[in-house]
Amino acid sequence: MKIKAVDGFLDIITEHKGQAKKIWMLSVNNLVKKYKGAVMGPLWALIKPSFTLFILWFAFTVGIRGGNSVSGYPRFIFMLSGYIPWFFVSEMIVGGSRSIRQNSQFVTKLSFPVSNIMTFCTMSSLIIHLGMCLIMYVILLFAGYGPSIYNLQFFYYMPLMYVFFLVLSWTTAPLSAFSKDFENLINAIITGLFWLSGIFWDTYSIQNPIIKTIMYFNPINYFVNGYRKSFLYETSIFDGNYTTELIIFYAEFILLIFIGSHLYRKLRKILPDIL
Amino acid sequence: MSEAVIKFDHVSKEYFLYKNDKARFKAIFTNNRGVKKHRALTDISFEIHKGESVGIIGRNGAGKSTLLKMITGVSFATSGEITVNGKVAALLELTAGFSNDMTGRENIYLKGYLLGLENAAVKQIEENIVEFANLGDYIDQPVRTYSSGMKMRLGFAININIKPDILVIDEALSVGDAQFRKKCENKIKELRNSGITVLFVSHSVNSVNDTCDRAIYLCDGKIEYDGSVKEAFEHYNLKK
Repeated sequence: MKIKAVDGFLDIITEHKGQAKKIWMLSVNNLVKKYKGAVMGPLWALIKPSFTLFILWFAFTVGIRGGNSVSGYPRFIFMLSGYIPWFFVSEMIVGGSRSIRQNSQFVTKLSFPVSNIMTFCTMSSLIIHLGMCLIMYVILLFAGYGPSIYNLQFFYYMPLMYVFFLVLSWTTAPLSAFSKDFENLINAIITGLFWLSGIFWDTYSIQNPIIKTIMYFNPINYFVNGYRKSFLYETSIFDGNYTTELIIFYAEFILLIFIGSHLYRKLRKILPDIL
Repeated sequence: MSEAVIKFDHVSKEYFLYKNDKARFKAIFTNNRGVKKHRALTDISFEIHKGESVGIIGRNGAGKSTLLKMITGVSFATSGEITVNGKVAALLELTAGFSNDMTGRENIYLKGYLLGLENAAVKQIEENIVEFANLGDYIDQPVRTYSSGMKMRLGFAININIKPDILVIDEALSVGDAQFRKKCENKIKELRNSGITVLFVSHSVNSVNDTCDRAIYLCDGKIEYDGSVKEAFEHYNLKK
């Protein structure tokens, strides 16, 4: 198992060498394809989440008036900083798992490094995310949060979040290509994940210490709370209060690299025959 | 003789035949144990040298496509060793990898990258491709507006112009009208004369005789005969 995982990891790294230009072109193409025929084109990618955000703002600040603050922050600001990374994460999880099946012609008709498929598909989500982050930052500045030196932690959380969910797709994409059950499973649990993650509520303010620790095992919380640490709380990545969370996250990350590399190695050569 | 550009060393290929989706799901966890297999190729060994033109003949289901897929690097052998030295241009799936929403010109780059070319290399051959495909103003229109013939022409133009070391041709492929066909044949001839290796899949004695100086006859996943074109077809016809 171990050797296979190492080989798989090396395979994936070699497959990416010198492919930057191609991956970039394919990911842009992926975006264009999604919004073809629309005058505003890929701008729709920004409009969709922005609209959801507007609805949320409307519902929570105009509609439901009660309980207008979470952990001392206006509910909208709190949600904003959680919803932006969530939108990205959900696109990464769903899009990543579908990537191989959706691009099966690259597997069955061309000699193409399969791991690049996951990279260019998720890269499209990253491009949208960066645009959304810009919008979020402007709103936060207007609302009086930042600029602060802690904002720079974004450049730690954002790339790490991308890589983490890219690595997750090493597992989910080949499995989903192999059997559609995995894709359906992921679609089924994604809504549940939303409520289990601290998008609308603060996982750090849970009183029960056991449940609070359990929440550390959800990697989405690591990033959502990480964004809040960078933009709202002004807390350092290495803040002593969150060492357990940091350790749990990296342990999961390493485990995921192992499983993903192993599965990729195992299924790569069968994929062209079954798709 | 010069070095081998394609070398098959005791290559076998098996496909898994899953009874249904459930069996396929189960197979992920059981490492395909107990799954019925279909043997497409059995213990294939041959060498093709630089500059050779080899015809591959055989009935439907003899394993020709599987063989070509492994040469082009799409599919992988179950056992045995395959060595392919050089850039392969396959005139099989001409439009594979095209993006319908990009223009013809953008697709030249996209496909070029997909075939493993660098930016500069694509730039170099871009004009050749545009000229060869002869699509006029359509080259800067999205590919989705192309007719299937135009798509084929662009695909052919790209594949043939990437300066391949090995050219894989399936005769069943028909590209455009008679005029364009002639142009393609001339180009293939020109490439052959420049000393590249050609693999030619066909059912017709005449066209293999025209193109190739050696033929491999595949039957039920095994090499029945490997040698002169004439004798290969004698074996082929004998089996009828």
